[in-house]
Amino acid sequence: MIVLTGINHKTASVAVREKIFAGCQEKKDLLPTLRSIGGVDEVLYLSTCNRVEILASVTEDDMALKAISGFLAKSGGLTEQEAAGCFYEYRGEKAVRHVFRVASSLDSMVMGEAQILGQVKDAYREALEQYSTGVVINRLMHCSFRAAKRVRSETGIAVNPVSVSHAAVELAKKIFGSLDGKKILLIGAGEMAELTGQQLIEKGAQSITVANRSLAQAELLAERFHGEAASLDDLEKILIETDIVISSTGASGFIVTAEMLRNIHHRRRNRLLFLIDIAVPRDIEPAASELENVFLYNIDNLQDIVDENVNARRKEAIKAERIIDEEVERFVNWQKALESVPTIVSLRNKAEEIVQTEMEKASGWMNDLKKEDRARIEWLVNSIVNKVLHSPVTVMKEESSEFNSRDIVAAVRRLFRLD
Amino acid sequence: MISADPELISFQIALVLCAVSTIGYLSSLLVRKVRLAKISTWLLSIASVFLTVKFVFVVIHSSWFLNPDSRDFFSFCAWSVCVIYLFLQFKTKTRVLGAFISPLILLFMIAAAGEEAGKAVRPQNLQSWLAALHLLLTIFGEVLFAIASCAGLMFIMQNRLLKNKKLSGMSRLLPSLNDLDRINHMCLLWGFPLLSVGIIAGVVFAQISWKTGWLTDPKIVWTFIAWIVYGFLLHQRLAIGWKGYRMALFSGIIFVLLFVSYLGVKICFSTLHNFI
Repeated sequence: MIVLTGINHKTASVAVREKIFAGCQEKKDLLPTLRSIGGVDEVLYLSTCNRVEILASVTEDDMALKAISGFLAKSGGLTEQEAAGCFYEYRGEKAVRHVFRVASSLDSMVMGEAQILGQVKDAYREALEQYSTGVVINRLMHCSFRAAKRVRSETGIAVNPVSVSHAAVELAKKIFGSLDGKKILLIGAGEMAELTGQQLIEKGAQSITVANRSLAQAELLAERFHGEAASLDDLEKILIETDIVISSTGASGFIVTAEMLRNIHHRRRNRLLFLIDIAVPRDIEPAASELENVFLYNIDNLQDIVDENVNARRKEAIKAERIIDEEVERFVNWQKALESVPTIVSLRNKAEEIVQTEMEKASGWMNDLKKEDRARIEWLVNSIVNKVLHSPVTVMKEESSEFNSRDIVAAVRRLFRLD
Repeated sequence: MISADPELISFQIALVLCAVSTIGYLSSLLVRKVRLAKISTWLLSIASVFLTVKFVFVVIHSSWFLNPDSRDFFSFCAWSVCVIYLFLQFKTKTRVLGAFISPLILLFMIAAAGEEAGKAVRPQNLQSWLAALHLLLTIFGEVLFAIASCAGLMFIMQNRLLKNKKLSGMSRLLPSLNDLDRINHMCLLWGFPLLSVGIIAGVVFAQISWKTGWLTDPKIVWTFIAWIVYGFLLHQRLAIGWKGYRMALFSGIIFVLLFVSYLGVKICFSTLHNFI
C-alpha cells in the first residue's frame, strides 16, 4: 500500500518545519534508514521550504506510518507536544492524490508556482540514485509528472502573474513588446522596487539608473545593478532617456509631476513611457496618466491585477482537480492490475487471441486436410502455448503471497505488453 | 466546361478558406484562444496559395496584366492583403492582427465573387504595361494603408485597456502597443512610395491616352486626397515625431473617412475607373 506522511505550511509553524528539515538534512543515510524500517519497501523523501514529506510503499500501513512520523519527529528533536497534530497521513488512493496535487502545485502556498515540480523531480532523482524506490513509486512519480504537465498545459493555473513585480513585468511587455534595450529608472529604494527592476533586467531591459535624494545611497544601489547613480535634481534630464520608471520613495509630495512630463514630452519624441508608482504616499502625480503614451500604475492598480489573477487561478484549480481525478484513476487501475490474478488472466487471453488469429490465417491450407488432422493440429498448438505459459503463470501464483510478486508481475506485463 | 475551370475552382476554394479563417480569427478573439488563431493563419496561408494558383492560370490563359476583369481586380486586392499580412505576422508575431485584417480580405473576396468573371474593364485602347503598373502599385499602396489603420485601431483598443488599468483577457490577447505602432510605421513607410509611383504611372498613362478631362474624375481626386493625407501622416511621423496614440487615432479616422468617401464616389458617380 502507498502511504504518505509529513508536514507542510498549513499544519506546522515555520519553527517546527525548520527543525525537521535540519534534522533530516543532517542524516546522510536518510533513505536507507527509512527503508530499513519494518514493513517499508520503497521510500522517497521530499523537502521544500514549505514541506517535508515521506512517501513510501509499505506492507503494513499503520505500523509503518507510525514508525516514519516517529522517525521524523525524533530527527527534528520535537517534543511530543510539538509533534502532535503536525503530521498528516494519507493512505492508498488519498496518498496518490496528494502526491499528484503537490507535483501540480495545487497544494502550494502560491498555487500554480513553477518550482515545486522541479523539487519533486530532484527528490525522485535522489531516491533513484540511492536505489530506495521500486516499481510502485517509480510508476507513481512518472504519473505525477504527467499529471503536473497536464495541469500546466491544459489549465490556466500558471498563466497570469500573482505577484506585484511579475504583474509589472507583464504590463511592461504589453506596452513595449520586447524589453530589449529599454532603460529603467529607479527612484528611491525598496524591496519591491528592486525586485521589479531585477526582473525587468532579466527579461532583457538594458540598464538601470538609480536616483535618490542622497547620492551616496543611490551609488550603493546602482552598484548592485551595475547601473548608474544620479541625483534627484537631474530627474528631468534622466526621464528623457527613460522608458520605465519605478518609484518608491518615502517623500510626502509628488516627485514626478505631470507638468514635468509634459515639458519633456517633445524631447522624448513621444515615446511610450511606463510609470510604476509603488510608494505610499504616491510619488507620481495621478494626472500624468492622462498624458498621451504615458501609462501610470500605482500599487493599488497592480494589486488589483494580482487579486484578479489569484481569483482566476482558483477557478482554474477546479479544472485541475478534475485532471488529477483522471490521473489518480489511471494509476489506481494500473496498481490493481499489478495483482497477479488479473495479469494471469490477461496473459492467457492474449495467448488465446494469438492462437485464434494464427489458426484463422492458416485455415486456407488447412481446409485441404482431413477433419481429424485439423483437430490434432489445433490440440498441438494449444498444448505448446500452454507449456510455454506454464512457468510464468506458476511463478506469479507462487509469489503472489509475497510482496515481491509485484516486480515479477510488472515484468510480465512489460514483457508481454499487457498494458 | 465552366465547372472544370481550374481558375474558378481555385478561386472558390480560396474564398471558402478565407471565410473559414475569418470565422476562426473572430472566434479566437471571442473565446480568447490563440490556437484558433494559429489554425486560421494556416488556413489563410493555404487560401493565398490557391489565389496565387488562380493568378498563374489567369496569366497563362489571357494576358491579365494587360486586361484584368473586375473579379481579377478584387481578388488581387485580397491576395495582396493576404500576402502583406502573412509577411507582417511572420515578422512581428502579432497573430491577433488577423482578426482585424481577415474580414477585409473576405470583403475583397466577396466583392470579387460578386463581379462577373470575364467582364472586360477597359476598352482595348487603354491596355498597356503602364496601366498594369499603375494598378499593381496603387493596390499595394492602398492595402498597406488599410493595414496601417487596422494596427492603429488595435492600438486604440489596447491603449484604452491599459489606461483603464485593466489587464484583462482582451488586453492579453492584443499585441503590445509598441508592436502595433511598429506595424503602423512600417506600412506607412512602404505604402507611401508605392502609392506615389503608382499614381505617377497613372498620371503618365492618362496624359498619353486621355490627354484632357481625367483630372476631375472623382476617383482620381479621391486617390489624390488619400495620397496627400497619408503623406501628411508620414511627415508627422518622421519629421514631427508623432508616435503611438495620436498616430493610431489619425490613421483610424482617416481610413474611415476615405472608405466612406470611396463608397460615396462609387455609388454616386460614373467615372473612368468604373471597374473598381
